[in-house]
Amino acid sequence: MRTILCYGDSNTHGQIPGGTPLDRYTFERRWPGVLARELGTGWHIIEEGLSGRTTVRDDPIEGAMKNGRTYLRPCLMSHTPLDLVIIMLGTNDLKARFNQPASEVAMGLGCLIHDIKELALGPSCTVPEIMIVSPPPMLDDVKDWQNIFKGAQQKSHELALQFEIMADSLEVHFFDAGTVSTCDRLDGFHINGEAHENLGVALAREVEAIGWK
Amino acid sequence: MPDMRFAPPNPLRIADRSSGLNAVSVRSHNERLVLSLLLQKSATTRLEIGEQTGLSAQTVSVLVRSLEQEGLVAKGEAQKGRVGPPTVPLTLNPEGAFSIGISVGNRHTDIVLIDFVGKIRFHKTLPNPQLAHGSNHSDFLETIARAVKLLPDAERDRLAGVGLALPRHLSGGMDDEAYFEALQAEIEEQLGIAVFVQNDITAAASGESMFGAAKTQSDYMFFYLGANLHGRLILNHQIYNGNSTVSFDVGISALERKLIRQGKEVEALWDRVGVWPDYGEVISEWKEPLIDQMNDSLNAISQFVEIETVFLSSYAPERVCQEICRKLEAANPNIRASAGNIAGSPKAVGAASLPFSSRFMVS
Repeated sequence: MRTILCYGDSNTHGQIPGGTPLDRYTFERRWPGVLARELGTGWHIIEEGLSGRTTVRDDPIEGAMKNGRTYLRPCLMSHTPLDLVIIMLGTNDLKARFNQPASEVAMGLGCLIHDIKELALGPSCTVPEIMIVSPPPMLDDVKDWQNIFKGAQQKSHELALQFEIMADSLEVHFFDAGTVSTCDRLDGFHINGEAHENLGVALAREVEAIGWK
Repeated sequence: MPDMRFAPPNPLRIADRSSGLNAVSVRSHNERLVLSLLLQKSATTRLEIGEQTGLSAQTVSVLVRSLEQEGLVAKGEAQKGRVGPPTVPLTLNPEGAFSIGISVGNRHTDIVLIDFVGKIRFHKTLPNPQLAHGSNHSDFLETIARAVKLLPDAERDRLAGVGLALPRHLSGGMDDEAYFEALQAEIEEQLGIAVFVQNDITAAASGESMFGAAKTQSDYMFFYLGANLHGRLILNHQIYNGNSTVSFDVGISALERKLIRQGKEVEALWDRVGVWPDYGEVISEWKEPLIDQMNDSLNAISQFVEIETVFLSSYAPERVCQEICRKLEAANPNIRASAGNIAGSPKAVGAASLPFSSRFMVS
């Protein structure tokens, strides 16, 4: 049995576009569920999606628990041994309160990659495979969230390139979710059921392409 | 001292996102390793690449992604295995790179344009250019410029270069290497295309090894049947050029002389279309010393290495080559002989393989 940890924010949690953090797609419809279905038996998929999660930042409004770096270490330890860690984060780092360019979000992601490598919680204390997934770009109209995400839309288009540069530098797998999915018009930054389906299928193919014995 | 883990990212390759082929200088050794495997096999997987290079799955992933973005590598459809997870084959993208090969033969110059998997997209045979001795290879330059024009404008930046295969006698007794280098410099300066020059028989051997019948073999004796018979020894994929100028006058020139003595038409002998008229008994008479010579060469080499595989490459009709191979096998039961399968002009295709091996493979 191989184990994959899916580490992300509300778009991994499966929050329904335009809904509240409590409105969540069922496991079968969320991308980790689609990934599980596509990979079939022999794979154990762990979901770790938290609404509002950032890469490395304590959120002064939502709380320190939204910091993706502090939670990642105990989370990895809880689920070891891990064959693959998929990380899809970055959107929440673009909130106006953090005032960060896309390149700094990528730097934060780099920290998570270093932490995973340092802990080496893969099989037999090896470094697990790591796959960085850049989220699909936000739409221009983010409805009520316009002020919270002031200036984020433009930056969200830069995440894919910045993440790929980081993934290449640190030599980890990379996938651009924007190539198979878009954000839903209802709120402009969450992905809908169709996008979850497409992303789960695409990631399954990426996971297979890594090559496993 | 800052913590270097958090220094600005330093990507392997991704910084260069231009649409064409990347400059030679930025192609890393590891990337060449991956491309070498792909040029040696028709399809592989990321897992196989990792096993054969010792690179981690993540490093292979970065390299392959970059090669995919550059358009050199294509991802295939996942194939479900009987056991275990499906495998995803990787292949070279045929449209990823092109190369022009030019070989100067006894009488004709062959020009081919091949794609990244060795498919001949264009083949033209011209009378030999006249070489003004010492300098000014204007006929060559014109011929190459014509070959470049065969490529549509949009694909022009995917041209890996021009390979030039020259026979030994063209250098007119000068030191081969110095002559080739001078010629190469002149072409590059005037046309602005990277030119790779090699001895023609060695080029034919590289072509057969990269794109032809010898693709899967690592150790074999390679014979080229042109006007004369030439040989090259290949050990562990390396072609041994040697410093010997030896070739044997038992080739197509010898056949031509026999036919002329009998008053027969000989033009078809030098034709690239690969059909000879029925020459009758003359062919068998001609083959005998040819096969004896091949066998002598094999016996001589057998003092040093055991060779079990022989490839015979030629623009002569495939049927003729196959008959020679059968006879050689009958004369020497220890070997398996096969005809090369690069039709038309093995030397020109070999020449075209040079820019690929120089730009994309590990040496």
